[in-house]
Amino acid sequence: MSDWIAIGALALVAILIPVSMMVVSWLLRPSVPEQGKRATYESGEVPVGSSRAIKFNIQYYLVALLFVVFDVETVFIIPWTVVYEDAVTEIGLGEALLPMALFLGVLLLGLGWAWRNGAVKWVRSAQVDSQRVSES
Amino acid sequence: MSTLLPETISDALGIGGVTGTFLGGVIGAALVGSFILVNTAVAGPWLKRKIMASFWEKIGPNHIGPFGSLIMVADAVRLISKELVVPEGVDRPAWDLAPMVLASSALLGFAVIPMGSILGINVQLADPEVGLAFVFAVASIASVGLVMAGYASNNKFSFLGGLRAVAQNLAYEIPLILTGISVVIFAGSLQMSEIVAAQSQTLLSVGPVDVPAWFGILNPFALALFLVANLAEVGRNPFDIPEAPTEIVAGYQTEYSSVYFVLLYLGEFIHIFLGGAIVATVFLGGPAGPVLPGIVWFLVKIWAVFLFTQWCRSSLPRIRVDQLIGIGWKGLLLASFANLIVTAAIVGVLAV
Repeated sequence: MSDWIAIGALALVAILIPVSMMVVSWLLRPSVPEQGKRATYESGEVPVGSSRAIKFNIQYYLVALLFVVFDVETVFIIPWTVVYEDAVTEIGLGEALLPMALFLGVLLLGLGWAWRNGAVKWVRSAQVDSQRVSES
Repeated sequence: MSTLLPETISDALGIGGVTGTFLGGVIGAALVGSFILVNTAVAGPWLKRKIMASFWEKIGPNHIGPFGSLIMVADAVRLISKELVVPEGVDRPAWDLAPMVLASSALLGFAVIPMGSILGINVQLADPEVGLAFVFAVASIASVGLVMAGYASNNKFSFLGGLRAVAQNLAYEIPLILTGISVVIFAGSLQMSEIVAAQSQTLLSVGPVDVPAWFGILNPFALALFLVANLAEVGRNPFDIPEAPTEIVAGYQTEYSSVYFVLLYLGEFIHIFLGGAIVATVFLGGPAGPVLPGIVWFLVKIWAVFLFTQWCRSSLPRIRVDQLIGIGWKGLLLASFANLIVTAAIVGVLAV
C-alpha cells in the first residue's frame, strides 16, 4: 500500500513541477499581440484550409490495428514469463513451453498473413507513384 | 529487503501512520524529481551541445561560466521568459495539456527505479510487485501526449509529426516490451528489486575479477535489441522521424513556444533518461558496481545510455518513414519473438 502512496506522491510532484514552471513563465513573459503573429506556420505562406481535414496515409490505421493485437498478446506473455522457471521444474519443460510456443506461432502466422497482404508495407498512393521519376 | 526512501524519511521525521507515509512519499518524490531535473538540466542545454560539438569538430557553448556550463541558467531564464504565442484555431485544453502529459508521464516512471544507495539510504520511491510492467505502462503514456500535441496545434506539419510519432511508438513498443520481459524469465519476478537482486550473483570468475550475472552479459542480443527499440521510442536518430527537421519542420513541436516548448523538450530528455534507467535496471545490474556508492554507478549507467543516444544522433542518418515501419514490424518484432522463445527454451532446458 505504501508503495502506491509513494507513486501517487510522485504523480503529484510530476504535475506540480510543470505547473510551477508555467506559473513562473506566466509571471515573467511579455505579451505583445500583433496582427499575423498567431498564424500557424506553413512555410511562410498564408495557411490553407484546416489541418484536421487533411488526407493522410491509410498505413497509420493499419499499424494501429496490428498494434492492438500484439499489445493484448504481451498482456498474456508477461504472467507466463513470471511463472515460467517454476513451472518448468513443476510440470516439465514441454507443458510449460509448448502451449506458449503454439500461442506465439498463431500470432506469427497472423503477422505473416498481414505481411503478405501488405499491411506492414508502406502504402503509396497512385498520385505519388505517378510523380516518381525513377524507382530505386 | 532494504527500506525504501519514503519510509526512511518518515522514520527520520518521527511521524508514523498514513500521514508519515504520505509526507515521506511527497518529500521523497520531490527529492527524486529534483534529482532527475538536475540531470536533464545538465544534459539538455549544455552537455548535449558539448557532446554534439565534439562529434562535429565544433566548440559548443563557451561564453558563460566554466566550459560554458552556465548556459543552463541562461537558457532556462531565456526560454521561460519568452512570449507565449497561441496560434489561431488551436484546440485549447488539449494544446495546453500535451506538454504537461509528456513531462509528467516520463517523470512518473522513475517511481519504481532503484537508484542505488547513498550514505546507507536506499534511493527508491516504491517497489511494487508489478514494477517493470508499471514502468512500461507509464512510459507509453507519452504517445497520448504526442497525439494531443500534433492534433491540437492546427498545423499540418504538427499533425503529420503526431501521426508519425504514434506510428513509430506503436511499431517499437512491442519489441521493447517483449525484449524487456525476456529477462523476467531469468529473474522470475516483475519487482525491480528482485530483478536487480537476480543480477547480483557471480557468473564466472576470471582471475581476481568476478563477472556479474548481468542480463546484458547473459544475453547481449536482448540488450542490443532493447537499445535499438529504445532509440526509436525516445525518437532519436536514426529514428527521429516524428521531428524530421528537413521534412516536417519540427513535427508536433512546431507551434509550441515559451514554457510549453521547454516542457516538451524536458519531457523528451526525461524520456531518454527513463530509457537509460530501464536499460540500467534490467540489463546492467541496476546500481551494482564495485567500490563507489550505488547511486554513482546508476548515474554512470544512465549517462552511458544518454551518450549512446547522442552518439547515434550525431553520426547516423535518418531512415525514411516507410523503412521505419518495415524495420519495426518485420525486423525487430520477429527478432524479439525469436529472442523470447530462445531464451525461454535455454532457461527451460537448464532448469529441468
